[in-house]
Amino acid sequence: MNSIIEAINKGIEQSGLDRNKISIPSDIPFEPETVKSLGVDYFQVPRGRAIAFGSGLKLGNPELKIIPVVGDLMTLGGNHFVHGTRRNMELLVLCINSFVYHKVAGKSVPVVTEAFSPYSTFEEPFNFPHLGNSCGAVYTARWTALHTAELAKSIAEALHKRGMSMIEILAPGPSYYRYVTDLDSELLQFYFENSTVKNDEDPRNAAITADGKIIVGKFTDKERATFIDSYNIQHTKILGDAFTPHGSLPEKTGGGNG
Amino acid sequence: MKSDKTGVLTGSHILSGNEACAEGALAAGCRFLGLYPIMPSLEVSQRFLQRAPEVGATFIQMEDEVSALAAVLGASWTGKKSMTVTSGPGFSLMMEHLGLGVMLETPCVIVEVQMVGPGLGLPTHPAQADVMQSRWGSHGDYEIIAYAPSSAQEMFDFTIKAFNLSERYRVPVALMSDAHIAQLKESVVIPSADQIHIEPRRYFDGPRDSYLPFKRDKDFVPRMVDIGQGYRFHVTGLTHDDRGYPIMFEECQEYNVHPLVKKIRDYVDEIVDIQETKTDDAEVVIISYGSSSRAALKAVEQARAKGMKIGSLKLNTVWPFPDARVSELAEQVKAFVVPEMNFGQIVQEVERNTYGKANVLFLHHGDNGVEYTDDILAAAEKASLMTETKCGIIEWKKGST
Repeated sequence: MNSIIEAINKGIEQSGLDRNKISIPSDIPFEPETVKSLGVDYFQVPRGRAIAFGSGLKLGNPELKIIPVVGDLMTLGGNHFVHGTRRNMELLVLCINSFVYHKVAGKSVPVVTEAFSPYSTFEEPFNFPHLGNSCGAVYTARWTALHTAELAKSIAEALHKRGMSMIEILAPGPSYYRYVTDLDSELLQFYFENSTVKNDEDPRNAAITADGKIIVGKFTDKERATFIDSYNIQHTKILGDAFTPHGSLPEKTGGGNG
Repeated sequence: MKSDKTGVLTGSHILSGNEACAEGALAAGCRFLGLYPIMPSLEVSQRFLQRAPEVGATFIQMEDEVSALAAVLGASWTGKKSMTVTSGPGFSLMMEHLGLGVMLETPCVIVEVQMVGPGLGLPTHPAQADVMQSRWGSHGDYEIIAYAPSSAQEMFDFTIKAFNLSERYRVPVALMSDAHIAQLKESVVIPSADQIHIEPRRYFDGPRDSYLPFKRDKDFVPRMVDIGQGYRFHVTGLTHDDRGYPIMFEECQEYNVHPLVKKIRDYVDEIVDIQETKTDDAEVVIISYGSSSRAALKAVEQARAKGMKIGSLKLNTVWPFPDARVSELAEQVKAFVVPEMNFGQIVQEVERNTYGKANVLFLHHGDNGVEYTDDILAAAEKASLMTETKCGIIEWKKGST
């Protein structure tokens, strides 16, 4: 996790953006002192709600760059991702998936750790870049906790995209698994041996399977009108000059203080 | 229909309750609406959406009510007064973020147009069955403020008050309307902008590096800043200290959550808004709220014409409940009559504050609340003739004598 924070830090630095104008709503608790080092406004919200909360932040103040951080295969809040992406809300979604790889019956499959499930798992993981791309994300990528330099570069690129970008990050979740001996290093070794970089790969081919290698890389990068663009275009079309495009609002609001 | 940029549509209008609510929100300075459409609350959002562009307000139809309130909380932290509008099942979905709003002490208004439940119930039929949910619906300990309007004019007035209290106490405020009031078209008088009191947000004005997001003033309310101003704050829904850092100890729970309760409980006298009619010499007092109070007030009028000593206590705020005043009245009256469009919710609060000193008659009525004046009158008449005082709630049935 710390390596990911470091990658976020470097990514923000490389993007050259003003940290005062960046906010991270996250459903994963960050270590407060680590957040401090990022120098952004940070919100910890309930499981799966970072994208919905972040949409409000973005609409409330369109100048801001919002980086919602979500985790655990986005089971809770998957629909916020689908619809946030569909409407192309300008957010950079970092999906940190902390499922732990285990060796079962000679094969490596994505499983929950034995600490959670005595019988391991038999479910297929989500192919997130494919989901994001299908819904219309303007930028999709996947990296592991090992690929910090590439991840930082992706974050820097995606922060300049207009629209919904998503980066899936495969990483161990140390606070959950700390009682499993050496899992972190075991997992990083696993990532090292079983991942392969394929930039520009069609995300349809990037599914994480039981026996194939984990495909990482920057998959797609395209342009599409954002929610706020469409909002402004539509209202200007109908209302003409009577409409003030969102982002340049009149200063005074509300009644007097009589 | 044209207002100035302040959003106040000054003048006399014929508006439905829902439309009046949207006007109230705009006049209060609400500039963000996050919603998921549901009847019978639809006209609030329709009216808001129609008027939003001319006053520079923003709106979004989210994918569900969970995200609608989440977006509202987010928008509130950017400095925009924000609200959401919903009904029955949507209100249930909002409970998660109602609790988050309390914990993050985020001002916002939730307009809930109550319909018949549970489950899918009778959509579009009015009820008052969510008042307990507005108080207890989210997990954990908290206090909430809830208004219950009974006319289109009150929809306008109380919406503004709801925004003011949410800023004053940094708490989500619920406006518990119902489908009667929502659809009812009445005359609404909107004053000029300078006649409307707007509670400003309590901003922190010290140096940036000394900002603590949850450091409380003497009245337990912390100061706020907008995001993106360089304060670089940390805010969490976990139990936290003044810095907003999560602290996982029981002591911190006391330190963090007790003030959330105290900031409302210790100021109940300032928050509670009740309207008493002819209670001075009353032997029976009808305690009602929302659209039921229309029938109750009519019953008082008719009873007085007959020479019966009957008064009314109308709850403009249902939460916090006016404990002190009800127990004071319990010393004076023979009985309370509580008509509600549910199977007994606020009547429990009344009974709790009576301490067995007066009878409590509960009058359940269905979704035709405003037509039940005769029943309320009959119940009050019966209550005034009771010679002994019983503990507990006496359920009064239509036609019983």
